[in-house]
Amino acid sequence: MTEKRELIRNGKRANGREDDELRPIKITVGVLDKAQGSCLLEWGKNMVLAGVYGPREVFPKRDVDARKAILVARYVMAPFSGVEGHGRAGPNRRSREISKVAGHVFENVVLTEKFPKTMIEVQMEVLQSDGGTRIAAITAGVLALADAGIPMKDLPCGSGVGTIDEDNKRMVLDLDKYEDNLGKSDIPTILSPRTGEILLYQMDGYLTKEQLLEGLDKVQSKAVPRLREEMARALKEKYGGMAENGGVEQ
Amino acid sequence: MRRIVLPGEKVFDSPREVESCVKDANGTYATEVSVFYDDKVVPLKGVYVPHQGEGIIGIVSNLNFSGYVVDLNSPYPGRLSDQETMEDLQLGDVISVKVQVVTEVNECALIEPQRLSGGDILEVPAVKVPRIIGRNGSMLNTIKEFTGTDVLVGKNGRIYLRNGNVGLAAEAIMKICRESHTSGLTERVTAFLTQNR
Repeated sequence: MTEKRELIRNGKRANGREDDELRPIKITVGVLDKAQGSCLLEWGKNMVLAGVYGPREVFPKRDVDARKAILVARYVMAPFSGVEGHGRAGPNRRSREISKVAGHVFENVVLTEKFPKTMIEVQMEVLQSDGGTRIAAITAGVLALADAGIPMKDLPCGSGVGTIDEDNKRMVLDLDKYEDNLGKSDIPTILSPRTGEILLYQMDGYLTKEQLLEGLDKVQSKAVPRLREEMARALKEKYGGMAENGGVEQ
Repeated sequence: MRRIVLPGEKVFDSPREVESCVKDANGTYATEVSVFYDDKVVPLKGVYVPHQGEGIIGIVSNLNFSGYVVDLNSPYPGRLSDQETMEDLQLGDVISVKVQVVTEVNECALIEPQRLSGGDILEVPAVKVPRIIGRNGSMLNTIKEFTGTDVLVGKNGRIYLRNGNVGLAAEAIMKICRESHTSGLTERVTAFLTQNR
């Protein structure tokens, strides 16, 4: 982990990307037969499998809410995912935290009041990790929820944004593992594209107010449209293959 | 024109009260992956939630002192009073029932139970049921006619099949579920049934 690596080479990011460029994203929806909805998301070297179960009967019974569905999110890294710096795989402090913040994202978009006295489970399994897994996991979870036919106000999405240079000045999008570990700061951000609401915002490092606004603007103007497009393509691919002409086979 | 709409996608520029949509001051937005046509938003997937008066197929999942708990292929169980039945039902019995009343938390009371025996049960997504029945039951009649099967379709997506060519009927129903959002489906199903008769 203490390996020396340069993040900026000849004025460009060492991984060859532009400052506003995301890693390649590949989304497949509906990969699990037994789950109500599912999604396999490949984001650069990240790979996340998400499954949604429910709405179904609440267990344990004491958690039941008579006014709305409860949402249970579970983020976990597989032992073979390349956990390295994150301690051990499986349930731990870090995965509990991410499960909690992911749960908040889902709770704020799912129309839980439509299904009182039930629970909706979102399981996110990180199969391979390369920085920015919480964003990838939440994106996969959102798509699995959409695939499960669970009503949502929006399809939230976002990306990481942070500084990678020594002066803590240069804001770049979608940090990979080395940029995340060795860079100065990073902020995983998830937005609701329709309303512009911030659903996840966790800062690591030190940034000024102007930098925060710049980062937010980058996510909103560069990352969100790209992701929205990929998500729409994946869902339309499964539900009828009519992404291009916008109409059903006549 | 038909098009696929995704959660959060605008369907109307003004706030309207539309099934499976949300609205704000600027417009109406879809909440599920749906097909949008003729000012209607029809979801492509989703769980079954019981409504009053619907005929459904349930499976007895528990017995208690005053009646039965019935699994309805839904997050919500149904309750059937034993005053409604002449015969005693057993755990696992398949029954066709009618929803009498639904409470605000979607729990329902069932009436008119009828035990179904000697057939097969097929489970499909509840949102596909209208396509399986077709306009005025046209699709269902086609299937019955070609396969000689008695088909009983529950609104909750459970389909009871008995007699005749059950396998072919089931295959036709699965085909309808896969291609439910395309047009010209009745002709294709008819062709499929003619071919495999």
